[in-house]
Amino acid sequence: MRRIALAVVAALTLSACGGGGGGGAGQELSKDPVTLRFTWWGADERHKRTQQVIDAFQKKHPTITVKGEFKDWNGYWESLATTVAANDAPDVIQMDELYLSSYAERGALLDLGTATQHLKTADFDRTALDTGVVKGKQYALPVGLATYAIVANTDLLDQLKIKLPDDGTWSWDDFKRVGDEVSKAGGGKITGVQSFGFDAGSLNVWARQHGASVFDDAGKVAVPEDVLAGYWTYLRDLAQAGTAPAASVTIERAGGALDQSGTATNASALGTWWNTQLPSLATASGQKLKLLRLPGESQASSPAAYFKPSMYWSISSRSEHPAEAALFVDFLANSQEAGDIMLTDRGVPANPTVRAAITPKLGENDKAAAEYLDTVKVGTAPRVTPNGASSIEAIIKRHTEEVLFDRQTPQQAAKSFITELQAEIDGA
Amino acid sequence: MTDLLRKAAKHAALILLALIMLYPVLWMVVSSLRPGNEIFRRPGLVLDSLQTQNYADGWTALAAPFGHYLANSAILVLACIIGNLVSCSMAAYAFARLEFTGKKLWFAIMLGTIMLPIHVIIVPQYILFSQLDWINTFLPLVVPKFLATDAFFVFLMVQFIRGLPRELDEAARIDGCGHARIFVQIILPLMLPALATTVIFTFIWTWNDFFGQLIYLTDPEMYTVPVALRSFVDATVSTSWGSMFAMSVVSLLPVFLAFLVGQRYLIRGIATTGGK
Amino acid sequence: MSALGELQRMRRGSGGTLGGKKDNKAAAAFLAPWFAGLLLVTAGPIAASFILGFTDYNLIQPPVFNGLDNWTRMLGDTRLHHALGVTLVYVVVSVPLQLAAALGLALVLDRGLRGLAFYRSAFYLPSLLGSSVAIAVLWRQIFGADGLVNQVLGIEGQGWISNPDTALGTLIVLNVWTFGAPMVIFLAGLRQIPAMYYEAAATDGAGRWTQFRRITIPLLSPIVFFNLVLQVIHAFQSFTQAFVVSGGSGGPSDSTLFYTLYLYQRGFGNFDMGYASALAWLLLVIIAGFTAVNFWAARFWVTYDD
Repeated sequence: MRRIALAVVAALTLSACGGGGGGGAGQELSKDPVTLRFTWWGADERHKRTQQVIDAFQKKHPTITVKGEFKDWNGYWESLATTVAANDAPDVIQMDELYLSSYAERGALLDLGTATQHLKTADFDRTALDTGVVKGKQYALPVGLATYAIVANTDLLDQLKIKLPDDGTWSWDDFKRVGDEVSKAGGGKITGVQSFGFDAGSLNVWARQHGASVFDDAGKVAVPEDVLAGYWTYLRDLAQAGTAPAASVTIERAGGALDQSGTATNASALGTWWNTQLPSLATASGQKLKLLRLPGESQASSPAAYFKPSMYWSISSRSEHPAEAALFVDFLANSQEAGDIMLTDRGVPANPTVRAAITPKLGENDKAAAEYLDTVKVGTAPRVTPNGASSIEAIIKRHTEEVLFDRQTPQQAAKSFITELQAEIDGA
Repeated sequence: MTDLLRKAAKHAALILLALIMLYPVLWMVVSSLRPGNEIFRRPGLVLDSLQTQNYADGWTALAAPFGHYLANSAILVLACIIGNLVSCSMAAYAFARLEFTGKKLWFAIMLGTIMLPIHVIIVPQYILFSQLDWINTFLPLVVPKFLATDAFFVFLMVQFIRGLPRELDEAARIDGCGHARIFVQIILPLMLPALATTVIFTFIWTWNDFFGQLIYLTDPEMYTVPVALRSFVDATVSTSWGSMFAMSVVSLLPVFLAFLVGQRYLIRGIATTGGK
Repeated sequence: MSALGELQRMRRGSGGTLGGKKDNKAAAAFLAPWFAGLLLVTAGPIAASFILGFTDYNLIQPPVFNGLDNWTRMLGDTRLHHALGVTLVYVVVSVPLQLAAALGLALVLDRGLRGLAFYRSAFYLPSLLGSSVAIAVLWRQIFGADGLVNQVLGIEGQGWISNPDTALGTLIVLNVWTFGAPMVIFLAGLRQIPAMYYEAAATDGAGRWTQFRRITIPLLSPIVFFNLVLQVIHAFQSFTQAFVVSGGSGGPSDSTLFYTLYLYQRGFGNFDMGYASALAWLLLVIIAGFTAVNFWAARFWVTYDD
């Protein structure tokens, strides 16, 4: 029994060190048939479109077979961690901003800079490419871009005869005031605002509008306590004033799927979302939804809004076919054919050439999302979530819950948040 | 008269209880018959139209028709049932009826193996099976069942065998039967309820088990029902709830039928076969 | 001499194996698959997880031995202590409730009622759904802000699942709701009680209560014991329901942070598999302790035929 245990531990050690068997990503393509494994998360619509992209690629490169492995979000990360641990990771990996550093800094991903022979990035803006750089190396290529926005239900507002202020100049106080009016007119069933405080997007925006940032360049927690306390004070005020629903309802909606949110069920007039979620929300709600610019932007010294990659393409550092994997990523990122099939399913394409080409083919809400991205003023993107901080959203969520249920004051939450997040980073 | 009244009251109470318990299930069935985007906007059980679109959509929404995943699950379930029936009953006979060195210790070890959460076992186990080149086959899910790793069923059968009168097998021993014959001819027929329980539970648990199937089956060709069902769900974009509920209902049917059939065998125990 | 007394004397009579000899050879044959499974499938990963408990292991890089660090870290881990508390409350409250519901209905549904097959299936159906993805949505239909409970009680603007004071309660109800598994085992156990015992007792003129006390309870006790032991183990490891209902967070405010959910968050969410492995072994010790107490207590109330 002991011998088996030692053997398994030895295997763990070995598999973690094992390098790729197929040489570098810069080499020529193999003449023999090659099979690539490609994994992504998503729902059925994405699975279908991605399979079509795979088919198109295989038609062009008959010697390369791509096997798609699709998972749901939670299952995806369990499965990816397990396969990486066993040195059995898929070759092409869809990556998220929260986990990028965790995988890249530990050597699980290929430096795409070594793959330029097959993978071209000339079409991309430097700022977009930088979102995939970790410790000076391009470990990931952004797929789509998204930016934080307010989604307003204009049908609901018209029905309640409430006028929206100019979203070019409004402040967070204006936002709350409109919300109050809606809640009063809505008679209990409808509330003005669907509370935020459950994602990293809202916290980033809040910090940046106050001239701070959640992390500094070195990857330490850098947001001052009083800025955080202000964030939670604002959220608590929304709930206490009835601008947002009661704490338990807010949390229930935040914890559910997109379709169960206040925006999707027409129970809230205003909500914070990524602009690319507009089409899904509009389908679920069945009413007219509109993207508005973030409150507080005109009062801030520089734009707090930023482009967040909806997801990335990355390649396993232990891939046996890095050259072919790079070729496939090139197809995903640069080819018009792939762009035409995927449209905005993975966000508005980060590749401006592809984005321009598909815009005329989009439906009304998709087009609105893409146009929003082109018109909004953005600042430089915040630093990639540091290694160890992948649970930041869970930590934000828990502290918001503590504040909404009066178990912690905003000040206590701010203090505890910083300590906990920093400890996670230090422990990684 | 009072007897009749008591019976009626009993039935009324049971039906009420059943309705409360079944409310979520009914809600799911109703939702599967609603247009997808209305599911969360209309609470309650009232249907104003009958939409079967979700069933058609859900059936073809993934890489293969949903029937493919049902078939995969069925194969897996069948293999697991056979494995558990054979291996667990043998181990249980040894623990319940034989005296051997270190019996108590071995029994404790057996129970101990189910006390560790699977989440820390799965990574070393994955490495083990990937060394054997078993990933993306049913082997990592099936072979352990043939090796009596489901201690739950071993323990269950031990308890049942210990509940059987000893006189039966002692009489057989006096007649010169060996353990193999006692096991096959006397114990097995008498523990039919335990075997039926094992079949039902193995069926349901394998049918619903997500974690192992997710990790070990990588190619969508090999996906089973629980893995396929989760492919409908994505928290960040719109989920095809209608399709998901429709396929949940479809995948619930075989399990429900398995139970309906299986529970008959729960009734035929020693009470009808052994009681003279 | 009554027939019942005769039978009971017979049952108490000769015990053990004939001649008291050991059957090592036969046992080895019957246990061969189990031994093979233990050696080939189970032991390696279990032992590996034990060793990993003394390492810093992030799943991607090789594990690094770090002595007792993981174990001393547990002492100051307040979320762990909280998770232990949540889990203990869950085990102590939900297991007895679930077993009582299961046994009660099994007795009612045992015999002599029309539509038995229907009732059994109806009561079992929820257990089929117990770990499905759909349960997250379905449970909201009952305990959510717009759920059945609020509709019946006429409450608005309040949810039960997402209130830290009541969230654990809804999970306990969820566990009781899926009492189908122990119920089926009780039913099977009841069916295995030889009818001749009841016939004999009836001949003696024993009433239904006496029959229940003197035949059903003692003969069913090994099965009650089995359900108790397994449900306790199961409840300690409870994961899926809390994971699905809380979206993996154990929220709101950690109020449903089960031990295994916390362990999972450490292991997979934070790439902290060394610590997670140590946590798993602590849980094993705790469960083993509870199980040992159960086995010790069994000698006072469980009757076997051997």
